[in-house]
Amino acid sequence: MDVEKLVRMANQIAVNFQYDPSKKQAVDATLDHMSRFWSPPMREQIIVHFREGETELNEIASLAVSGLAEGKRHVI
Amino acid sequence: MSTVYKHYRRATDLGTPEVTSDKDVTLTIDGKQVTVPDGTTVLRAAALDGINIPKLCASDMLEPFGSCRLCLVEIQDRKGLPASCTTVVAEGMTVTTQSPRLADVRRNVMELYISDHPLDCLTCPTNGDCELQDMAGAVGLRDVRYGYEGSNHLDTEKDSSNPYFTFDPSKCIVCSRCVRACEEVQGTFALTIDGRGFESKVVASQNQPFLDSECVSCGACVQACPTATLTENALIEKGQPEHHVITTCAYCGVGCSFRAEMKGEELTRMVPNKDGHANHGHSCVKGRFAFGYATHKDRITTPMVRESIRDPWQEVSWDEAVGFAAEKLKEIQKKYGQGAIGGITSSRCTNEETYLVQKLVRAAFGNNNVDTCARVCHSPTGYGLKSTMGESAGTQAFDSVMKADVIMLIGANPTEAHPVFASQMKRRLREGAKLIVVDPRAIDMVRSPHVEADYFLGLLPGTNVALINAMAHAVLSEGLEDEAFVRARCEEVAYRNWREFILDDENSPESMESHTGVAAEKVRQAARLFAVAPNAAIYFGLGVSEHSQGSTMVMGIANLAMATGNLGREGVGVNPLRGQNNVQGSCDMGSFPHELPGYRHISDPSVRKLFEDEWNVELLSEPGYRIPNMFDAAVSGQFKGLYVQGEDVAQSDPDTQHVEKALSSLECMIVQDLFLNETAKFAHVFLPGSSFLEKNGTFTNAERRISPVRKVMEPMAGLEDWEATQALSNAMGYPMNYSHPSEIMDEIARLTPTFSGVSFKKLDRLGSIQWPCNEQAAEGTPTMHVDEFVRGKGLFRVTPFVATDERTTSKYPLLLTTGRILSQYNVGAQTRRTENLKWHDEDVLEIHPHDAEQRGIEAGDWVGLKSRAGETVLRAVITERVQPSVVYTTFHHPFSGANVVTTDNSDWATNCPEYKVTAVQAQKVTRFSDWQEHFEKFEKEQIDLLQQAQNSSEKVVS
Repeated sequence: MDVEKLVRMANQIAVNFQYDPSKKQAVDATLDHMSRFWSPPMREQIIVHFREGETELNEIASLAVSGLAEGKRHVI
Repeated sequence: MSTVYKHYRRATDLGTPEVTSDKDVTLTIDGKQVTVPDGTTVLRAAALDGINIPKLCASDMLEPFGSCRLCLVEIQDRKGLPASCTTVVAEGMTVTTQSPRLADVRRNVMELYISDHPLDCLTCPTNGDCELQDMAGAVGLRDVRYGYEGSNHLDTEKDSSNPYFTFDPSKCIVCSRCVRACEEVQGTFALTIDGRGFESKVVASQNQPFLDSECVSCGACVQACPTATLTENALIEKGQPEHHVITTCAYCGVGCSFRAEMKGEELTRMVPNKDGHANHGHSCVKGRFAFGYATHKDRITTPMVRESIRDPWQEVSWDEAVGFAAEKLKEIQKKYGQGAIGGITSSRCTNEETYLVQKLVRAAFGNNNVDTCARVCHSPTGYGLKSTMGESAGTQAFDSVMKADVIMLIGANPTEAHPVFASQMKRRLREGAKLIVVDPRAIDMVRSPHVEADYFLGLLPGTNVALINAMAHAVLSEGLEDEAFVRARCEEVAYRNWREFILDDENSPESMESHTGVAAEKVRQAARLFAVAPNAAIYFGLGVSEHSQGSTMVMGIANLAMATGNLGREGVGVNPLRGQNNVQGSCDMGSFPHELPGYRHISDPSVRKLFEDEWNVELLSEPGYRIPNMFDAAVSGQFKGLYVQGEDVAQSDPDTQHVEKALSSLECMIVQDLFLNETAKFAHVFLPGSSFLEKNGTFTNAERRISPVRKVMEPMAGLEDWEATQALSNAMGYPMNYSHPSEIMDEIARLTPTFSGVSFKKLDRLGSIQWPCNEQAAEGTPTMHVDEFVRGKGLFRVTPFVATDERTTSKYPLLLTTGRILSQYNVGAQTRRTENLKWHDEDVLEIHPHDAEQRGIEAGDWVGLKSRAGETVLRAVITERVQPSVVYTTFHHPFSGANVVTTDNSDWATNCPEYKVTAVQAQKVTRFSDWQEHFEKFEKEQIDLLQQAQNSSEKVVS
């Protein structure tokens, strides 16, 4: 899949959770959303992209994908 | 549920509408004691007791009028002969409906009518079903003393301009039923009585032919006519039906109940069912008249296969077709993996069919790659309402609107897309309810006969969330919230967080004015009106959901309703107007890749176990691909096989060129449809579909109402759609052995708590059922969240306004927004194959006079419409209905290519496409776009390949 589109989608999710009471909650909400609604190949692809380093992921999305990479899933 | 054939007879008419009252009144009619609610008319009271008083101008669909003088009665201690249709019952009243004096008067009245009426009963289209004829019989008319030679209207010309009905004024008795039906039932006010006395006649608009008038062809006038003045052309051609079956319309999410009136297996006409709980005897032009597609010559009735989309089709047997498809799908899975195939369920098919397709994908394909077209329309509604209130559905019954004091209509155009509900809403507005319209375009509800919005908030496309936050800010900052409701019914911490967020200055109407383009004071006034109303209801459509913040906006709407206490009773609520007939149902049935039926997440082991035990298969715990993800994965080579039932993604989904690329990348696509639609042109297997007239099942409308769909004719291709899915599953090696859709519904009920009390038998008894239907609510649930929300406490969600990435630039300075039109339905596959083309034979581009002038565009010019996704060419209509810098079109015709222009931008939570906001440029052109030229070439090639199959089949037969 087009990884740029996945990055755009992840950023969009993160931006919409940006007003959650704390950064941790926003990260958890983003991670949880990707766990619940993204198919495994999409998550795997964005994790690979994240691990490659250069990424346009925003801060919250980046932390969420990092959590996914650590095996975290439904955190809410 | 069985198809019950009832001998044809006209629907019972009790003369005047039902009234409700806490007080009963007892009177005596022809010596019998009758008890009815106070306010009931004598005519209705008599009819309820089986006493039929002659009548012509009265109908229980219309308010009493008292003009025909046939329903006169004698009432003890009252002078004269009062009309029973306008006389209300009184305690102790004594009524006589038959006497020599009454008989004389009634016979005289009928003599006058018949002295100016053609005596052609034997050759008249309504012979055998004519109220005038019946009344002549009822009063014993034997002679017309006035003769027939005097001045009359017998030579008046017919108006045959409407393709569906004929107006023959020579048969008109000027009872005004048609005029009143147009006003009271439909709310269009297109008809009137012109002239006085002998010159009185029914005219449409300014004495115009019906087709050229404001008439919307709903047919309410035809249904109301007691003579053959307004008659369906089908009835004129075919004669009276001989039986009828109650079924449900297959068009929009209103889900009207109809009497399919038949001659053998031929459908004569569709007449809206007066007992229909969603429509109460009304309909629109599509439901009543546009059913000709079901027997159109373009129907494909034989399964077909081909190796490549450049090969001619080959007609084969059902066994060969499903065998071919199953082999292909299994090969793909062997080669590319279990997740390389998937399916799309249809919002046009029944609950039982969509349930079966998702079961096929999860159990036979062994993955969760199933999605439905709600992905591209109301998926944000499901997400937003589930998050805030706990259930992915609207909160009310349609009838609830009759108790609303303020109606807020956001991003919905009901007179075009949900016309029967629009008529009900207009009725409530005429009774005095206030109206707020939030829309970038001045839709009909902003101003039309006897309807005018109190506030029209004409915002810029893409700024819904800014506006709803500004309204909420006005409510909170002015202390207009319902504190008691919030305290009792909602989560406190979440409310406090939301309150703090909303009260930030950045959400004030004054701050948001620069985004929305709506004056702050106007927003404040509308917010006050909404907040202080005893009952305020929100109705919304795709103008809410089809945005990059569609889900946020749905949550914003829910927040506002909760903050003002407008939930949990009649007259209020959050009401999504669903686009297609079974959008709600297809979502309920587990069509989304992350949810099993009943909106339960696939990751929940206890829910999975329930289905695993019933289906005897292990289910994957992770969500599958959504439709846009399927297309992306197809383009990148990870997704290779797709089963599409009853959807036309190549026309309806955004960024057409991307969709076409995805479909071209598939090694096996199976399309099940009535016609060789745009998607089928990319298919390798075609399974002929069955229309709603050819199968049994249920549809669920926008108010969660499950209604029966009943087979009135055998499937033209031999199988109902669910049978084709079952055959494919068996060919894939996963056994399915249902013998009737009722067994599928029984399985749904066993597995889904909100459906546990639903059965075909109960539907036969009740007519329809609003889910949840279970032990707690055996006959269904009209209003949800009454004492508590489904999730317990209501959850306020913080809704930051995030401007869409789809912004205007110097290259693309206009915003395109898309919508629907009354006469056409969705991709038009059905309605383009009917006479509805007379109203809309091409999609056009609406552009504001200022923008047109700047570009040298005149009305009727061809305009190139270009976005970053693609370009198409449409004819210009110059109108102030759109605001400057905004253009608008529809997507009912494939050649129009509206979705060539729309982009892959989508809702953050659900991937619902942002159809409503596309940055574009428009300029005058002299030729069609490259895509349109390619479309025409591809279309011709595919039709040729189809004809080759049909020609070779004819040779074999000959």
